[in-house]
Amino acid sequence: MSFQFRHIVLGMLFLASFARAQVTTNLLYSKMDFFAQHELYDGNVIRLMGYTELIGTPIDLPSPVLIYNEGDSVDLGMHNFSQAAHHTIHLHGLDVDQATDGVPHLSFSIPHDSVGHYQFIAPHAGTYLYHCHVVSTLHVQAGMYGLLIVRPPDGGNTTWDGGYAFDSENAWLFSEIDTNWHQNDIINDPYVPGSTVEILDYVPQYFMINGKTETQLSNPETSIEGSVNDAIYMRLANIGNYGNRVIFPASLNAQLIDSDGRPLPSAINTDTVELYPGERYGVLLSPDTEFTGNVDVEYINMNTQLVESTQEAPVTISGFNTINQWEVEQEMIVYPNPTQNDLNVVFNGLKDYNGTLKIMDVNGKTVLVNNENLNENSTLSLNTASLDKGVYFIQYLSSYDNLLKKFVRQ
Amino acid sequence: MKSFAGIVVLILGLSSYAATVEEKIYILSDSMTCVDNTTFPYRTFNDFNAFSQNNPILQLNQDDSLSLWVVNFDSIDHNFQIEDYASTFETIPAGDSVLVGYKFVNAGGYIYHDPLNAPTNQYLGLAGMIIVKDHSHDSFYWNIKEHDSTWNDNLLHNVAVDWTTYEPDFFTINGNSNPDINADPLARIVGNVGDTLILYMSNTGNSVHSMHLHGYHATILYSSKSALEVGREKDTFPIHPMQSLVLRIVPDKEGEYPVHDHNLVAVTGNNLYANGMFMTMLISP
Ligand SMILES: [Cu+2]
Ligand SMILES: [Cu+2]
Repeated sequence: MSFQFRHIVLGMLFLASFARAQVTTNLLYSKMDFFAQHELYDGNVIRLMGYTELIGTPIDLPSPVLIYNEGDSVDLGMHNFSQAAHHTIHLHGLDVDQATDGVPHLSFSIPHDSVGHYQFIAPHAGTYLYHCHVVSTLHVQAGMYGLLIVRPPDGGNTTWDGGYAFDSENAWLFSEIDTNWHQNDIINDPYVPGSTVEILDYVPQYFMINGKTETQLSNPETSIEGSVNDAIYMRLANIGNYGNRVIFPASLNAQLIDSDGRPLPSAINTDTVELYPGERYGVLLSPDTEFTGNVDVEYINMNTQLVESTQEAPVTISGFNTINQWEVEQEMIVYPNPTQNDLNVVFNGLKDYNGTLKIMDVNGKTVLVNNENLNENSTLSLNTASLDKGVYFIQYLSSYDNLLKKFVRQ
Repeated sequence: MKSFAGIVVLILGLSSYAATVEEKIYILSDSMTCVDNTTFPYRTFNDFNAFSQNNPILQLNQDDSLSLWVVNFDSIDHNFQIEDYASTFETIPAGDSVLVGYKFVNAGGYIYHDPLNAPTNQYLGLAGMIIVKDHSHDSFYWNIKEHDSTWNDNLLHNVAVDWTTYEPDFFTINGNSNPDINADPLARIVGNVGDTLILYMSNTGNSVHSMHLHGYHATILYSSKSALEVGREKDTFPIHPMQSLVLRIVPDKEGEYPVHDHNLVAVTGNNLYANGMFMTMLISP
């Protein structure tokens, strides 16, 4: 159930998982580079430590995104293939029991060529982190970190159970690299657990979003694409040693809605979000005009509070995503859109007809549930006359399908 | 229902009983001894005429008044001010003393400090916590501070430093670093499952710190920076220079869990891991 980052931004989120409260097992390998092979944007090549899903794949920055549904029973295995240092997985923010917490002297650490297991119930839907807690100052900087995303129990496109519905989602993990911390004697050191370790001064030269920086940011993993009136959910997380100030263009109408895996007491309208090491924030974007520009991400030195780098992540908001002919190929077609009364729904090759078809408002609140049975040739008509005017989502959710469309009640 | 209402009134009555808390603190100049025995010049306020490298924590209940003598036993003049309370300050010439009075109608955390030559005197150690309570839960107190061991001597002798190059090498809570923070009963969070534990944090340093709790989320009860932060349930709490935060932790399970600055440079001391802002909380069944 772990997914490489690109899967998320290509909009395959729906496919993450459909079954409810399932048992999920996955395995990561922890490794280190014996030679420098990770290339940075300017051609500089460095050594990393990190987690990979396959033993043969090179370590990437950040490590794979782990995705679970709230309530899942998770068995996350880790096979340490480092050839040297012990490693762990600390599940940052998941509030797991002490034995599973991944802190070497308080739980367990995994020596080379051993496997350890982290078993836990996926907590409240939200954005979390995982990272190694062995000589954490060095191993985290070396690359042993990634995002951990918990979806609502039904795995659907809402921020949490009863939360906001969204059309698309981007997860941005901020960090830095100081190449002096990636030299051979640091990356390949088989640290004796519990010993005191010397640390260099931290003077990072690379400031990253999802391991990308500068010219690499024109990339689906680090840019925002959407349409006017889309709801775009941004998961922001900081695993570096600098603060981040994320500045959204005003026309994205950014709203701060959650932090550290919990909803905020009330949403806050703000274009600027500051997050510091270990923090996560959820931001809902509601673009109201066509727009091309950038989100600026500033990297703030914790000691001087000076901005040492600004990275620009591209934003493209295109015109209204009106629903017309091109939808014919799709698995669920809804028309007319906008509608004043009846909304017709046509299915085209569902995998499972025992699911639920419902209409949600923009806050994810269910406002209408279909009671008619569905079959292969179903065409149904839902009466939306009772709904207030506005933007709605219609969702079909079964064990195998997760279809979401937006429509406007006029 | 009636008797319940009666109890509520009684409790309100008790907590609104306003006392005057009398305290006396002494400004002394000496030195800080760090985790690896590195020393550098340091100044603090003290309970007695004897130097301690942590400033006393002054405690009151909501609506209490503080009547405070500040005695300047240092060889130079100092000022005295309470952050987030008043923008005015008192001047205390060398060898002199001043009596100040404040009434605290809002529960929370405050910082008393010397604003003279800001931020120099505060940076050199003259900043402590004032705690104003509206509860009787077990409470813990962190005076969070970082130090650049090469700067204090210069600052003490009025040699200018360039704050845009500030790079601290020691990180302390109540004057201690790992592993000594766990031995400080004021700092180490100890309790039982189901307890309501209150954590008071003030950042008297000049860096931002980002304090992370393993094992539990906590609710922000008070933030001197922004009322918008109140009510948030989080596991990581950035705290800016001269900010105070109050958190409520209600542990739902037992365990010994780390609590540390997630700027992982700050869990080191003099470039040694893990001699910095790292401790554990201990929750029993
Ligand atoms: Cu962490
Ligand atoms: Cu930690």
